[in-house]
Amino acid sequence: MRQPIKNYFKKGDPYILLTTLGLILSLGMVAWLILIILVKGLGIFWPSDLVKLDLKNDKVYMGELWNSTFEKTGDGSGKFKKVAKTQLKIGNRDVYGFDFTWVEDSLIRNKNYPEYATVFERVEYGNLYGFIKSVNIIDNKIESDNDTIFYKCRNTLSYANELKDTSDYLNTEYNDLLAPLNDIQRKISLLKMNEGYLSTKDKRKLEDLQYEEKKVKEEIEPKEILLNEKLNKNRNKLAKLYLLVETADGQQIKLPFENIVKFYQPNRMNVFEKGLQYIGSLWEFVSGDPRESNTEGGVFPAIFGTVMMVILMSIFVVPFGVLAAIYLNEYAKQGPLTRIIRLSVNNLAGVPSIVYGIFGLGFFIYVLGSSIDQFLFADKLPEPTMGTGGILWASLTLALLTLPVVVVATEEGILAVPRANKEGALALGSTKWQMIRRIVLPNAMPGILTGLILAISRGAGEVAPLMITGVVKLAPNLPFDTSFPFFHFDRKFMHLGFHIYDVGFQSPNVEAAIPMVYSTALLLIVVVVLLNLLAIYLRTRLKNKYKSASF
Amino acid sequence: MAVNLSGAVTNKINHLQNEKIVIETKNLNFYYTPEKAALKNINIQIPEKKVTAFIGPSGCGKSTLLRTFNRMNDLILGTSLNGEVLIDGNNIFHPEVHLEDLRKKVGMVFQKSNPFPMSIKENVIFGPQVNGESKQSVLDGILESALVQADLWREVKDRLNESALDLSGGQQQRLCIARALANKPDIILMDEPASALDPISTGKIEETIEELRNNYTVVIVTHNMQQAARVSDYTAFMMMGELIEFNDTNTLFTTPNKPLTEEYITGRFG
Repeated sequence: MRQPIKNYFKKGDPYILLTTLGLILSLGMVAWLILIILVKGLGIFWPSDLVKLDLKNDKVYMGELWNSTFEKTGDGSGKFKKVAKTQLKIGNRDVYGFDFTWVEDSLIRNKNYPEYATVFERVEYGNLYGFIKSVNIIDNKIESDNDTIFYKCRNTLSYANELKDTSDYLNTEYNDLLAPLNDIQRKISLLKMNEGYLSTKDKRKLEDLQYEEKKVKEEIEPKEILLNEKLNKNRNKLAKLYLLVETADGQQIKLPFENIVKFYQPNRMNVFEKGLQYIGSLWEFVSGDPRESNTEGGVFPAIFGTVMMVILMSIFVVPFGVLAAIYLNEYAKQGPLTRIIRLSVNNLAGVPSIVYGIFGLGFFIYVLGSSIDQFLFADKLPEPTMGTGGILWASLTLALLTLPVVVVATEEGILAVPRANKEGALALGSTKWQMIRRIVLPNAMPGILTGLILAISRGAGEVAPLMITGVVKLAPNLPFDTSFPFFHFDRKFMHLGFHIYDVGFQSPNVEAAIPMVYSTALLLIVVVVLLNLLAIYLRTRLKNKYKSASF
Repeated sequence: MAVNLSGAVTNKINHLQNEKIVIETKNLNFYYTPEKAALKNINIQIPEKKVTAFIGPSGCGKSTLLRTFNRMNDLILGTSLNGEVLIDGNNIFHPEVHLEDLRKKVGMVFQKSNPFPMSIKENVIFGPQVNGESKQSVLDGILESALVQADLWREVKDRLNESALDLSGGQQQRLCIARALANKPDIILMDEPASALDPISTGKIEETIEELRNNYTVVIVTHNMQQAARVSDYTAFMMMGELIEFNDTNTLFTTPNKPLTEEYITGRFG
């Protein structure tokens, strides 16, 4: 009897079982995580039906079904009963003050899906749910049957968008016109700050500037008036385009077309139409700018910031890591010192990332950035140009953070280069550097790229060090645009990881922001996977080229 | 025992008096670790444009000796050496000697073929390129002549841009010979070049050596005595880091002077 049990343990069956269970558990958790993020992150863009609930207490709500639960309530006598509750997204924040409400199911008298219930996505105040009453197009009030009015709305919205584009265009023109004047005025105000202490040279400069200001003002004025007129006309026109919307409980709301992003009537859309709507929303999410303190709209600036930062980081970290690894392996005399250095490099990988962030702040921003400001941007001081957080410093900080990973992976790559090949190159009269460049580096390239892959995975998901080196909640400009010099490394930027933190935990309207957290998390995963796939593709190509010699 | 065996070996080789000597070692001692000498007091003179073979049991120091001629042993940490190695009368361990120039002049073929993971063409022109030749026409000329001399041109001339790693083992080794020849060396060192190859490939390598003997000084290490007898003009027998006997191949294999040599070539040990 005891022998079989002993054999059972000797063969290791229980341990094999344990390893299997461990694997299943880890994979299962990963799959579960991805599934939740996928469902919650992608589901939000589906245009769900609007339900109208008539309650027994004569309240009427209309909105999207959001959640349902059982709540235990007690009446004080120690008895509990379960009450079914439904959560409804009722929108209309400007009317009700909140987006969500809970309704006890037992209170519902009547539940229906009105055909012409309309969802308005607004620039401000979130969604509006209601029925279109009338369209006002420049003093012309149109009331008609539901279908006609819907199409009227659609046309008016595109007209309003045209007007908005014109406004934007006129605004940039206006800013460009005023730019030289603003520049002069800024210089004057700087000089005026220490007016009592000016040298004669500076006084002359001030007088010159003031004369110039007058001249430029005169020159600009007629154009400015003309532009202002055009802008006002446009603005007035836009203001005269509005809708009257009736909410489910009968309140009338005036909704300017200027404020509408898009609108649709989900209850009379078929699956195909909803699908199109879904794709549109998804695209808007990926390519649009954020609205309503990031809880709505798109995340394009964050995607752009993340990708650009990771690419910059890679550009910094790979050369440094590779050079360090080459020195450690090929040039440094192997001994206790190199062993200590190697150990230290390995340990650097375990330093908490916030420590790197503080180092980045202290060294890159305060020391390097401030010095650069003093030498190159002295005329703008005391306002810092490089001496404040920016994408360059954030990338450098992350490069530092991921350096150990690249060094270690490159070292492994270098060690894997066959000694015979290195000797062969030296025997042909090549110098050590020629041997490294032509034999070691190409052969170690897959290792280097493995390091890059690990660095990207680590770097793209970091948030803590970025928060103090240049990431912001909302960046007015992308770090890359069409104005010279195209790449603006001093600019602050947005980042998907920080976006998740900001939207999920810092936003004033947490409940409305939850879907955004899931979608952004999903997007971050997708971005990291795509960047990794790129590096893996490169590595595979190189591996095929340098497959090891064997016969 | 060692010293009296190797006493004045070189003086007994009458044939060498008609030859021009390219490599000469004087009282060469070599240590991998300070305690134990891998080469003990080696004195040998290697004639120009002849094939000289080193034979001996494993660990006798024949490869070590070979690798001192192009200073490959410098790469191994902790080694030390005393005595002299003269090539064309110049001590190669003199501080002013350029290692790269020495290795260009003294080419080497290794035991295991080591083509670089590049195309056939890039492999062959690697040496001239790192030594500063960049003219394409010159490189093309070198490429062809080196491959012809290594008896590989016919087989690879249509796929010069394919990876060298796709060649067969024997072809790879001949590619390595071509690669060494592309540097236009005076001396070619071969460290058991055929030990990992099948008999047919071995035969081809031997044919190649046969053709090289007219233009190059070839020093070959082998533990295959038949091979030494077939390809070499002179043979040195080494044991335990000592040069036991050095003579022209015929004499050494037919009437060896030393009993140790006789025992070895008749297969009583080794």
